[in-house]
Amino acid sequence: MDLGNLLLYTLAGLSLAAVLFIVAAGLSLVFGALRVINMAHGSLFMIGAFVAWFIVARLAGSAFGFWGAILVAPAITALIGGVVEIVVLKPIYGQEHLLQLLGTYALTLVFAGAVRLIFGPDVRSLQAPDILNTAVHINGHSFAVYNLFLMGFAVVIAGALYLLLNRTGLGRNIRAAISDPELLAASGINVTRLFTTVFMIGTALAGLGGVLVAPSQSVDPGMDANTLINAFAISVIGGLGSLMGSFVGAIIVGLVLSYGFAVPQTAPWATAFVFAAMAIVLTIRPWGLFGRPER
Amino acid sequence: MIGPSKALAAGLAVAFLAVACGGSSGTTSGGTTFKGTKKVGISTALTGQSAVYGKAINRGALLWQDQTNKKGGVNGYKIEVIVRDDASDVAKAADNTRSLILEEKAVAMIGAVLSNQCQAAMPIAHQNHVVYIAATCNDYRNTTSPDYRIAEYFSVVPTTYMEATAAGIDAGKKTNLKKWYILSPDYSFGRAETPAFVAALKKTNPSVQILNQPSEWYVPLTTFNFTSVLPKIQAAQPDAIYSNIFAATQTAFINSALQTDPTFFTKYQFTTLSSIDDFNALPDKYPTGIRVYERAPFFGIPGDKIKQFVKDFRAAYGGDYPSDWAVMDYDALTVWAAAAQQAGSFDTDKVMAKLSGGNFDILRGKIRIRPEDHQANVPVWIGTTTRDPAYPFVILKDIVNPKGDDLLLSLDKVKAMQSGSCKNNDLNNCP
Repeated sequence: MDLGNLLLYTLAGLSLAAVLFIVAAGLSLVFGALRVINMAHGSLFMIGAFVAWFIVARLAGSAFGFWGAILVAPAITALIGGVVEIVVLKPIYGQEHLLQLLGTYALTLVFAGAVRLIFGPDVRSLQAPDILNTAVHINGHSFAVYNLFLMGFAVVIAGALYLLLNRTGLGRNIRAAISDPELLAASGINVTRLFTTVFMIGTALAGLGGVLVAPSQSVDPGMDANTLINAFAISVIGGLGSLMGSFVGAIIVGLVLSYGFAVPQTAPWATAFVFAAMAIVLTIRPWGLFGRPER
Repeated sequence: MIGPSKALAAGLAVAFLAVACGGSSGTTSGGTTFKGTKKVGISTALTGQSAVYGKAINRGALLWQDQTNKKGGVNGYKIEVIVRDDASDVAKAADNTRSLILEEKAVAMIGAVLSNQCQAAMPIAHQNHVVYIAATCNDYRNTTSPDYRIAEYFSVVPTTYMEATAAGIDAGKKTNLKKWYILSPDYSFGRAETPAFVAALKKTNPSVQILNQPSEWYVPLTTFNFTSVLPKIQAAQPDAIYSNIFAATQTAFINSALQTDPTFFTKYQFTTLSSIDDFNALPDKYPTGIRVYERAPFFGIPGDKIKQFVKDFRAAYGGDYPSDWAVMDYDALTVWAAAAQQAGSFDTDKVMAKLSGGNFDILRGKIRIRPEDHQANVPVWIGTTTRDPAYPFVILKDIVNPKGDDLLLSLDKVKAMQSGSCKNNDLNNCP
């Protein structure tokens, strides 16, 4: 593999990592603060993509619709997340994880049915704005500008999340919830509202991931599963609850997949390498590369 | 003499028993009196990776049901087609098949979408001795491999061998295309179809070079992100790409490829399996100028039957056109009904006797089901995508229509496969 192709594969891996980071960050944030493994996170990713398709294809067209969808779809998934947190999760906080897993898994079935009823079973497709629908040439090969946009957008989201967590009162409370939930409850913070807010942020990120991925693949009712699996792998590798962990974990997973596919001998195993990496991290450092051990 | 209350009670008891026993009393529908109702089961993908095909299958099957019952049903019985969603999942397809046969008492099953779903369902059809007609799943091993083959299985869809051979010969005729890149879904269909395409391609044009190794041909069936695959294709610098990825996966690939390079499908000649549902998924974006092979494109099928079907389908479904999958499931039900009618019975042995070696007139024309492997000599359509203002999706031009008889696996190969003489039950390893 020459250096030019290596650069191409690296960029491909990083653009893959970009969307995965946004989705995984939401999943990780929710687990870190609420101690909830949200199996329905992929469903909200899917809903985000379908809402984006609806806005672009049925309401506004690609020129304005896409940018509108970036604002509207996460807002909708955040609202759905708020309802889910209040109605489904609140009654089962503090109970064993199995109950939360089953509860949120049940939601995946509900959301799958709802998406099919509302949007139908058809495979959908939407266009990115023309300005992003071009390509640049690297080493004589084309590379989608949209992929570069995804990378830039992910860095902006990472920066925004960093500022939210480290420069705001809400962020201070979220960090407190992640590091010591018992102390937070005793300090007079409205934990109920905080948890709802965190869950809404997490589901907004899932929806945002759905919008961003939609123009570069297909939008269909089965798109949630793969992304959820990869988001889990990233969260485990990076450490559940850690923003930096999600960032680094996403880059690891994106590059492992891209380099894995690139080499003929490893191509059939590329997906397996991600889970091998996850298994290795779990064995050596069960709390992930940037996570903290559960007390 | 009995009193009126006792007579009423006796009447109610008889009516209750008739209903409880089921099937023995006649039913009336739309002015037609039927001897009873018989059910045909379909487990299909109304959700999941292949959901777009399941919708068409459901529509084709229900249209057939309505039309058949209006004409008096089959053998005097009203036919109820029960369609169950298997979510494109193998285990669910098997569960549905079991439930449709045992609980719904389906007298026949129409096969699932994915080949591995059919392979999971076939043993259940065999255990319960119920006819199983494949309309979509088409792994050639279903009719030939001792691992899968059952007596009750009949196929009215071109097998992976048939369609891949047709596509391979067509592709090989373009002698300027020497360097090929292969992309295929990693499950039984892809593993069966892709080597057959490569074999036919190389046989037709021996100078062809396949750029990626067989271990690199396959991507997971549910791959929706091709960001990592596209640089590899570009780096290989092929003249042409062969792909049999389909449904949501194909849409994802086309979207991703066009985003990477708007001239992708001009730069690399693309040959792929496709269908009207795949065209419809990208009404404005489906590339033109690519070579496509299809199993039943209505616009390429000659004859009045298909014209009437298109008219009826559009009238029933708000002006939508029928996709290949609607045509094929309609045909499968037509074949089963004709066999049952000829047999004068729904008994599996009697229906099988009429299916095996039987001649049938279906939407795709006249076909025969070969007794040796229960495979119908159905044709394949190959053409180049183009836009036609008459349709809201791309259609094909320069269509060639290799006949089923020219594509069927030779009987020598069928016998070798069925006897287990081919290593790993792989056609390429037959003596």
